[in-house]
Amino acid sequence: MKKLSPIAYVPRRETLQSASLAPVALYLGAYLLVCFFSSDPLVLVAATAGAALAGYGCGAGRAVGFSLRLGGFLALTMIIVNALVTNRGATVLARLGDWPILGQVEITAEAIAAGAVIGLRVIGTMVVIGVWSACVDPDRILQAVHGVARRSALTATLISRLVPLAATDYARIGEAAELRGPAAAPVGRGAMAHRLLAGSLDRAVDVAATLEMRGYGRSGGTAGFHRARSRFDRRFWLAGTVLVSLALLELVLGSDRFVTYPEISWSIGFEAPLAALAFLVGGFATWRPRVRGGRA
Amino acid sequence: MNPVTGERAADRGVGFALEFEGLSYRYAGSDSVTLDRIDLSVQPGEFIVLAGGSGSGKTSLLRAGCGLIPHFHGGELAGTALVAGRPVTENGPGELADVVGYVAQDPETQIVSTTVAAELDLPLRFRGDHPAQRARAVEEVALALGIPHLLPRTVTTLSGGELQRVALAVALVTRPPLILLDEPTSQLDPVSGDELIWLLRRLNEEWGVAVVMAEHRLERCLAAADRVVAMDSGRIGFDGSPRDFLGWAISERPELATPSALMFAGAGIEPLPVGVRDAREILRRRKIGVGPDSGSASIYPPERRVNQPTSGDGSGSRPRGTVALESKRLWVELDPGDGPVDVLRGIDLRVRAGEKVALMGRNGAGKSTLLRAAAGLVEPVSGRVETPGKVALLTQNPGDFLVRERIGDELPGEEGRAALEAVGLNLSADRDPRDLSGGERQRLALAIALAGRTEGSGLPGLVCLDEPTRGMDRGLKANLTELADRLAARGAAVIISTHDVEFAVTFADRVVLLGDGEIVADADTRTVLSGGWYFSSETARVLDHPGVVSVDQGIELLEARE
Repeated sequence: MKKLSPIAYVPRRETLQSASLAPVALYLGAYLLVCFFSSDPLVLVAATAGAALAGYGCGAGRAVGFSLRLGGFLALTMIIVNALVTNRGATVLARLGDWPILGQVEITAEAIAAGAVIGLRVIGTMVVIGVWSACVDPDRILQAVHGVARRSALTATLISRLVPLAATDYARIGEAAELRGPAAAPVGRGAMAHRLLAGSLDRAVDVAATLEMRGYGRSGGTAGFHRARSRFDRRFWLAGTVLVSLALLELVLGSDRFVTYPEISWSIGFEAPLAALAFLVGGFATWRPRVRGGRA
Repeated sequence: MNPVTGERAADRGVGFALEFEGLSYRYAGSDSVTLDRIDLSVQPGEFIVLAGGSGSGKTSLLRAGCGLIPHFHGGELAGTALVAGRPVTENGPGELADVVGYVAQDPETQIVSTTVAAELDLPLRFRGDHPAQRARAVEEVALALGIPHLLPRTVTTLSGGELQRVALAVALVTRPPLILLDEPTSQLDPVSGDELIWLLRRLNEEWGVAVVMAEHRLERCLAAADRVVAMDSGRIGFDGSPRDFLGWAISERPELATPSALMFAGAGIEPLPVGVRDAREILRRRKIGVGPDSGSASIYPPERRVNQPTSGDGSGSRPRGTVALESKRLWVELDPGDGPVDVLRGIDLRVRAGEKVALMGRNGAGKSTLLRAAAGLVEPVSGRVETPGKVALLTQNPGDFLVRERIGDELPGEEGRAALEAVGLNLSADRDPRDLSGGERQRLALAIALAGRTEGSGLPGLVCLDEPTRGMDRGLKANLTELADRLAARGAAVIISTHDVEFAVTFADRVVLLGDGEIVADADTRTVLSGGWYFSSETARVLDHPGVVSVDQGIELLEARE
């Protein structure tokens, strides 16, 4: 029995799934923007929570949970690595002596904080990507982009198809790693990533060949690429515009609000809590009241 | 003829649906030619089966017929290749998409859309068809292939058989006069495989679609074919009628002959039969009785009837070894993403050391889950499964086990070498696993699963292989049978899940048939595989005699009856 990848797209009659591509891209793009570039922990936590709320609101709870777990693991790794390899920072918490390759290792509170900020960015970005993958129909991406940018459409289609395939491959290779005999060389994350990448390239070639066979490269038109507008479009245009504006403001005004080196300094004014609140509340844009006794 | 437009390929003013003249091809970076001076023409409306061993050039021939060679795969192409009169060298796969459809071996990589309806719609969109035309074409092709209920489904929820049908529907939706299929039944159970073959024949007869289908399990499709082309090392070794092909195969390439042809040839009966119906007709004309009530008493009395009360271990009168696997009222529930489903329902099964068990059943019957439960990968919700010894499980894709670029890095040290020896592999530690043949890769993956699990006689108590015969030719299957014999002789219980009835006949001494998560038959191979329609060997379907399933048994029975 096939198990659906938690981040695979599932058609549902929810807000994000029903809305047109452009307002959804604007709305989730705002979260991606702030998660990618902000360095304020409060804003990052709020934006991540907002993106998670957006996912839960449209039935993508599994995708959110999966992204949080994966992002959390990566974040922890980054905190540890950053703490070990960065000797900057005034507050030394531990001196671990001389290590091969790394040299003198000192664990500083600043390096941990800097790693944590990067980790928060990763978690937020993973959640936004997970919600996008689970809620946005890849066919719509192809339809939307094919007419204007054929190569970009091919890339978008490959990615949207390869994400669930890579997730399936990852699960399968992970299972095979568990089944290896104790005397076989263990499969580390490096070997696994290498194998996954090689497999993804093979997959990409297969998918590209299939698209070619379907007539993708033909000069003929793409008549009828049309999707009816959704009643949720206005909501996401509005929320997306507000949040993108806030995200841009945050990037300009909030870049030096949280500084890690040489000492941690965090100047919380009124704008950070406001931006955080906006991104948190913005997550409810995907929610809608359930109509009792209504007919589909 | 197309039932909608009434148009045939010939009416479009083209001669052959496909024509190769002196076609040679070499993949980029390869030293040897893959296709060597191929001369082949396919008439509109013909049904051709493309036979040949693994690596004989079948897939490359099909790729050249749809433009993927040379446009997608590169390499050097010489000679002429025309599809509906259009030169392949000047028309890429996109340009040829409305005159040829192609279905590759793995349907999972051929689906690029989210829902079935969108997938069927895609080629029509690319062609620029009007939405009304598209809606009608999608509806009609879905009806023709019996999949209208699948249209709103997401492709990730489809079974292998459903995916294969969708891939076929996509290839047909633009109504091309030619369709090329690369082992379309390799991932299907016998029921779905037979359904697909006869669906193709119906489309061929009703729509006039020319079909060229590469296939290993020829006993399945020969009866539907007008013509057989056999590939041999990149060249055409035979091109003629199915009956003539069988004569050629018996004398030149016995591994390509069907079981019924081998049986008739062995018993000296002529002509050689093309399929079960033909075989029975030939026997009837020669007044050789078939069936359980004809002739003398059975020469192979079944040891036990299917579904008769048993001791619960299905081992009949075989010598009893130690128990390698025992499950009691085993229930397993899985959640595919939209709620939990009972996949195994109260399985009682006991397998002993040295037994060779074929696990059979439809796609989704629970075969893989049972093996995974035995290996401890899934937890039962009720009941228990016990494996007193160690367990090695090889999952469906051996490539998943191969993550490094040197065999020595996968299997280091003495224990690694011992594992290689256990599966009969003697390869240099420096070789790259990706350069190995399919059979070698499978053995290497099994060696990786076995490494360090060796016990007394050098093996785990239980070795499970999940559908290892997909895409294998008969030579590779014979190697696998030899490997299973070797493992069982050294004391391991071997369970192989398979859709290939003929392989089960040669490999197994016991068959467990699953249906919807329950055991519906559990007995010796001769009993189970001679008692049904789908899960029966070709020999059994021809002779319909209890206990007679293999070619040798069939020959013996026929000689006794003559």
